[in-house]
Amino acid sequence: MAEIGHGGKEIQERIMQPAEAKEKIKGLTQIPVRKQIANEIINLAYGWFCPLEGFMGKDDVDGVVKNMRLADGTIWPIPILFDLSQDEVEKFGVKPGQSVVLEYQDNPMALFEVTEVFEYDKAAICQAVLGTTEDKHPGCARTYSYKDKFVAGKITLLKEPKINEPFGPYFLPPLKMRAVIKEKGWNRTVAHQTRNVPHTGHEWLMKGAFFQTYGDLPIEKPEVGVVVNAIIGEKRVKDYIDEAIILCQDELEKSGYFGPHNHLSSLTFWDMRYAGPKEAVFHAILRANLGITHHMYGRDHAGVGDYYGAYEAHHLLDTVGEELDITPVYSMNWLYCPVCAEITSEGLCNHKDQQQKFSGTLIRSIVTDGVKPPRLIIRPEVFDQIMACAEKYGEGSPFVTEEYLEKRTPVFNIEPL
Amino acid sequence: MAGKNPIYLWVNEERYEQLEKAGLAHHTEERLAGLKVLIVYADDDQAKTFVQKFGAKHDTSTTGSIELLPKDVKHRLFEKVVEKQSIDVVGDVLASYS
Repeated sequence: MAEIGHGGKEIQERIMQPAEAKEKIKGLTQIPVRKQIANEIINLAYGWFCPLEGFMGKDDVDGVVKNMRLADGTIWPIPILFDLSQDEVEKFGVKPGQSVVLEYQDNPMALFEVTEVFEYDKAAICQAVLGTTEDKHPGCARTYSYKDKFVAGKITLLKEPKINEPFGPYFLPPLKMRAVIKEKGWNRTVAHQTRNVPHTGHEWLMKGAFFQTYGDLPIEKPEVGVVVNAIIGEKRVKDYIDEAIILCQDELEKSGYFGPHNHLSSLTFWDMRYAGPKEAVFHAILRANLGITHHMYGRDHAGVGDYYGAYEAHHLLDTVGEELDITPVYSMNWLYCPVCAEITSEGLCNHKDQQQKFSGTLIRSIVTDGVKPPRLIIRPEVFDQIMACAEKYGEGSPFVTEEYLEKRTPVFNIEPL
Repeated sequence: MAGKNPIYLWVNEERYEQLEKAGLAHHTEERLAGLKVLIVYADDDQAKTFVQKFGAKHDTSTTGSIELLPKDVKHRLFEKVVEKQSIDVVGDVLASYS
């Protein structure tokens, strides 16, 4: 049975067989690409970006910028762009009708069937997608760093990437994820977007969303799964290291705070644009393509600084909800109340002057000190996993350092054909 | 001392015993489900040094706290508290890095 993705299009993986790949790329020019582009090639080839089959042309970008829609009218909030300089366009002989090979880590990665070379006003993209043109916004900084020519065309992976440990089990592309969800017998699933190791505030966000998603379903057998979908992308110094994020999320299941009957950890390669409301819609599309039926959204989803209102993402989602194959689940914050003596929701507890709110910064401060907090704040098994990851992967730190960036094993490799 | 910018030093049982011996346990406060914290303060110049030299984040808009200090700096702060039997240690620790 066909698996239908965003925009009503069938999800089909665009990956060649090795023998075919070798034949197809003979004599073609090879263009090296950076990590962001390599991530997006994977998303295009496996169907995370369905209905896109390649990097966008000018009509699609124009539609996204002006109407948050592709040229064919399908909702799409963030341009997916392949950039080159004019010199590179000339040097590599890039022109419509010709194919080139995109190369990553010095190995051929994808066939790129070029259909168009164009220019677009980067400030207009920033204003439309990010709501600002300020270069201090990290999404604007990324957009302004693009070179001046954009190249459109279909992408086909030449070979599957090798996902390095410990990430292998969590790489579940759309068709695989949909098969796993069917195997588990889940009727509904709810996505938890994360770039964090989980404290109990996160755990209860997931548990709250689980109940919201369960709704009127029968309870005789497990019908709902929480799908943690960690965003693995560009790292900055002092972020949590990727290994700690994914292994600590999984630890909640391994240690019984969830179980395989209601929880699954996975990842998506993506460099955050911090586009707030537009990125919320984008995340809905990614997760709908994964076959997930519901998506959690808290305050200021995918925001940065004070660029977006706390619930602006919810409001935008409400305007396009009928065109997205996923139901938003809006989540209130969870906190610790010493009177209730439990983790509770800001929407439930009325001990307003005694509530102790979670703060990512405070939790990082505790983790930095290596002081194991009460199990009501971070589960002991999760804390131990953080420390283990620091030793095994982080050169002694659970947070990204320059040394980690230099020495880490890549999340994936492109191997020779 | 211009400005009073807190640095949170989190306290487990082992650290609490050390603070008791140093006669400083009464300086700890309970935060987050009973987890104890000892707060030492940096003045504005010291806060700037932490940001510039150690990449710390100074939350100037709300609490004024100094966050994301490297582990080594935070450990030195705690060790100096115990050694000096005082919470006035920030200057000593910064001097130890110069």
